[in-house]
Amino acid sequence: MAKLVINKLIALVLILIGVSLLSFFFSSISPVDPAEAYARRTLSRPTAAQVEEIRREMGLDKPFYEQYFSWAAHVLRGDFGTSLLTRTPVSAELPGKFAATLHVVLLSMLFTVLITVPLSVVSAARKNGVFDQVTRVGTIVGLSLPNFWIGFMLLVLFAVMIPVFKIADYGSFKSLVLPALAMAIPMASSAIRVFRSNLIHSYQCDFVIYARSRGLPERKITGLVLQHALPPMVTMLFQYFGYALAGSAMVEAVFSWPGIGSYLVKAIVGRDLPAINACVLLIAVLFVLVNFAAELVNLAIHPTMNASREGYRA
Amino acid sequence: MSEKLLEVRNLNVRLKKSGETLVKDISFSMEKGQTLGIIGESGSGKTMTGKALLRLLNPRVFETGGEALFCGRNLLALHEDEFRSLRGKALSMIMQNPMTAFAPMTRIGKQLTVTLSAHLAIGKKEAYERALRALRDVNLHQAEKIMRSYPHELSGGMLQRAMIALALMLRPKLIIADEATSSVDAISEEMILEEFMKIRAQGISLLIVTHDFGVAAALADHILVMKDGCIMEQGTARSIFHAPRHEYTKELMDASVLAEVNNHAQSF
Repeated sequence: MAKLVINKLIALVLILIGVSLLSFFFSSISPVDPAEAYARRTLSRPTAAQVEEIRREMGLDKPFYEQYFSWAAHVLRGDFGTSLLTRTPVSAELPGKFAATLHVVLLSMLFTVLITVPLSVVSAARKNGVFDQVTRVGTIVGLSLPNFWIGFMLLVLFAVMIPVFKIADYGSFKSLVLPALAMAIPMASSAIRVFRSNLIHSYQCDFVIYARSRGLPERKITGLVLQHALPPMVTMLFQYFGYALAGSAMVEAVFSWPGIGSYLVKAIVGRDLPAINACVLLIAVLFVLVNFAAELVNLAIHPTMNASREGYRA
Repeated sequence: MSEKLLEVRNLNVRLKKSGETLVKDISFSMEKGQTLGIIGESGSGKTMTGKALLRLLNPRVFETGGEALFCGRNLLALHEDEFRSLRGKALSMIMQNPMTAFAPMTRIGKQLTVTLSAHLAIGKKEAYERALRALRDVNLHQAEKIMRSYPHELSGGMLQRAMIALALMLRPKLIIADEATSSVDAISEEMILEEFMKIRAQGISLLIVTHDFGVAAALADHILVMKDGCIMEQGTARSIFHAPRHEYTKELMDASVLAEVNNHAQSF
């Protein structure tokens, strides 16, 4: 266990170095000059000398590796620099944005599980029945529609035409529901397809026949089947969680949600290098941690994956 | 005349989609305490017969017809709830592959006690004690440790014996064993045969589905030879082994003897 954590931590450090290097590298080869963008935003008609001055102040005239090391040294001290757009420290802005995104994503995960489990169980138990067919069509539709479009439709339907939910009212639960649902529908659609086929496969296993032959009630058998089909789903749901955190920008934009996604998009558009790098780093850390959590949960619920447990044979 | 335990009349199993008949109107009977061996090659319908009696065939894929009177009640026509109370209790099954028969994510102990509490109104502690005793009865030492183990932590032979323990726990009248020795090594096979001998000695009827004449010869009083879903020949073990009437039985016996000779040749 300790070995696993150490391995993960080493992997995390390597990934963070790689990700930050990539983020730095792509920023540096981008045709838009951040110094010039900043100068144009702050001065009405910047001269070449002024742009050069700003570039020097921002440290962008230094070689790539020097810029990177100076940034990394600051990050290690918790200093992500000052946002070029808002002129406040990025480290002060990030937690609030992150919390906003986390709220939506957590609720969307809850929706995903609540939609996926019952629909998959009923579909698998009545394979090729009417319910299964309808669910299948529903999942295909859900999968083929992009989440921002679903978001837009939900917004028009439930906030404009039938104003049940609020929008652009950050802080209230009602404003959370629609963006979370917009994220959950495509995730649940693909999760249902995977979970349903896992369940069908499990229902055909020997242990189900044996359990039936022992006269176990059907709900106990369903329990065994669920337990068997769950581990791959856990990994998948955690991955979705990671993707949702990293890819919330579109839905956030539709609902004007002040989360990390829309913050990152604004930063990219405004060439706000410190904010971009901080967001990329945060998303990478989250992604690695979420995957690690998936592994830990799987180890806990899936005994055969636990290699450290000694087998007992006579 | 001794008491009839099972009387199968015109049992047939058909694939719903293609209409192909896999078991064709077979009839046989078993007396109380008798051991019946069903012998046949792969695809002869012997496993299908065993599963049909326990209604384990998927009703969406297979259609079962005929009658199977168990203590006078037709197994194939009983209401689902009524039948479930028979399964495991009066009628037990031992599966072919012990490694896949137990649910992989549940401890052996739990799988034993859940079966007990599905049929008996007993508490957790009592169920645990009974399960422990059942494991010890089939010569599984360190029964506590086995109760705590997951199926993948045990060997095939141990799991097979755990399955026998599970079958015996509820004192069934009939145990259907489907190729119970074909997935374990030779030493385990011998031990399992010994356990079956003990089951016989307790007066529990056994229906042994096998392709192995050796197993059938060691255990069965009566033998039923199947091919392509039909019964080719049936009779006492002695008559089948010493004076097989049907060509197919002779062929099967020869093949079995050849396999034995080959096994011996390989061991040298």
